Amino acid sequence: MSAAALSAASAASGLLSAPAAVTAASPVIPDYGDASQCVQNNGLFCGDWFVQQWPVIFAPALLSHIMMTLIAVVIGFIIAFAAALYAHRMQWFAGPFGAVSAFLYTLPPLALFQLLVPITGLTLLTVEIALVAFTLMILFRATIAGLNNVSPDVRRAGVGMGLTRGQILRRIELPLAIPSIISGLRIATVLTVSIATIAAFVIDTGLGSPILKAISSPFNTQFIGAGALAVLLAFAFDGVLALLGRLLSPWTKARA
Amino acid sequence: MREFSRRALLRSGALATASLALAGCAGQDKPGPSDAITVGSKGFAESWITGELYAQALRALGLQVTLKTNVGSSEIIDQALTSGQIDLYPEYTGVIVMSLAGREELLATGAETYQVAKEFEASRGVTLLEATPFENKNAIAVTKAFADEHGLKTIDDLRGIGDFVYSTYPDNVSGGQGYEAIVREYRLPNMKLKTLSIGLNYQAIERGEIQAADVFTTDPQLLRSDLVVLEDTLNLFGFQNVAPAIRSDVLERHGSEVSDVLNRISELLTLEAIQTMNAASAVNRLDPSQVAKMFLDANDLL
Repeated sequence: MSAAALSAASAASGLLSAPAAVTAASPVIPDYGDASQCVQNNGLFCGDWFVQQWPVIFAPALLSHIMMTLIAVVIGFIIAFAAALYAHRMQWFAGPFGAVSAFLYTLPPLALFQLLVPITGLTLLTVEIALVAFTLMILFRATIAGLNNVSPDVRRAGVGMGLTRGQILRRIELPLAIPSIISGLRIATVLTVSIATIAAFVIDTGLGSPILKAISSPFNTQFIGAGALAVLLAFAFDGVLALLGRLLSPWTKARA
Repeated sequence: MREFSRRALLRSGALATASLALAGCAGQDKPGPSDAITVGSKGFAESWITGELYAQALRALGLQVTLKTNVGSSEIIDQALTSGQIDLYPEYTGVIVMSLAGREELLATGAETYQVAKEFEASRGVTLLEATPFENKNAIAVTKAFADEHGLKTIDDLRGIGDFVYSTYPDNVSGGQGYEAIVREYRLPNMKLKTLSIGLNYQAIERGEIQAADVFTTDPQLLRSDLVVLEDTLNLFGFQNVAPAIRSDVLERHGSEVSDVLNRISELLTLEAIQTMNAASAVNRLDPSQVAKMFLDANDLL
């Protein structure tokens, strides 16, 4: 095609004509190379591509997923634990807090994320508020149950030893509630790992992001890679918490 | 003693996690200095790549840039722009005219479409910088064999060649650029419809299940297949060049260095350039950030 024909063609197709002073730019187009056969044919799992893209796609996604989960569980635990201690002393409080946290727990996660967007925007804050909301019921109930299940005899023995109410809580009730609290934390953490994948609808973060981005142009390795990492992460958190529970309540080992 | 160590463990564990969590919070979303810029992109690969091009080139100027990828559709990202959640993003001129400004009538040229889009954005405190030479819009493609057989060059040529099947995606049947509009405007009663999800039409046309397909002009699959795009003589599909939409107050704060580099990127984005980058993303499965980095590197923008 001659230059004249070319310019005629571009004029005919109604493209933006560049100002007369500027000649049309010709970009340097890099060679992106060829993908492996597995990648080109969308094989079930392309290990070579996964390893190659680990530092670019998967490691940042995994790291942000871990941070997202930790922040939500820690803040959720602080709120639920404080509420449980208060409810333990003020029985009337357990009903309303339990009801509100149960209501939050029943909301569809995606709907809650979208409801918050107009208020707190497309930010990490939006994501964390929603994630914390989902942890409250489990953590509150686990803590309350642990505290209330301490046998009255043990409590009376404490009173007999001359312990104050605060001392009974700290030295008797809380230690005995540890197994229950830990089991609540394990459920809440695994739940948060899975719900946090939906956060990608709000901000481009966590393991949900590579999954969401591969939907419009399906690529198995990206789905399976990110999905498997989420499952492994849930297992890892669960294992670490189980171990922590063992360390904090050595007396349960004999029974376990 | 055991009691003590357990409590110490509890306390240090709680402290460690709390400080971790706080550190995580502190590292996010902190309002940066006034030279910070937030770039957004829409919900598909071409937009992710363009957003990366903008963000990385602005970073190379020494600005602090946050990139919000995959913000959402035109309406959502436009709202993010006007409400200040992002400062700029790549938008298609025809989309601004049709979806955001809500103009119904067809415009005659790409330049006119750009002008109308620019004026509309300016009325809301948004500056539309220079547009790309490439367009990404709907088009009708047929196989080369089918085109040769019937001597097809334009969509008009499809009139009177006997019944044939055209495919588009399910939500593009009514609407201004949909199947019904094409049949009406080009008077093609012989064009029958088959709806297919985006991405399935290439296989279908290669297998001969359909004879004509609704395609996007920058789709890398179009480059790799043996298809011919028919000329849209009525400009039914409008004009869809890409231009950076940036809030005017942000532009004023930064002066010309920002607009210069963004205009330079637009200028480099020819059809071949964007098709190659789309292919690097869709076929080679490189991350948009890698695709953009290599392109900016090759063109001395980093």
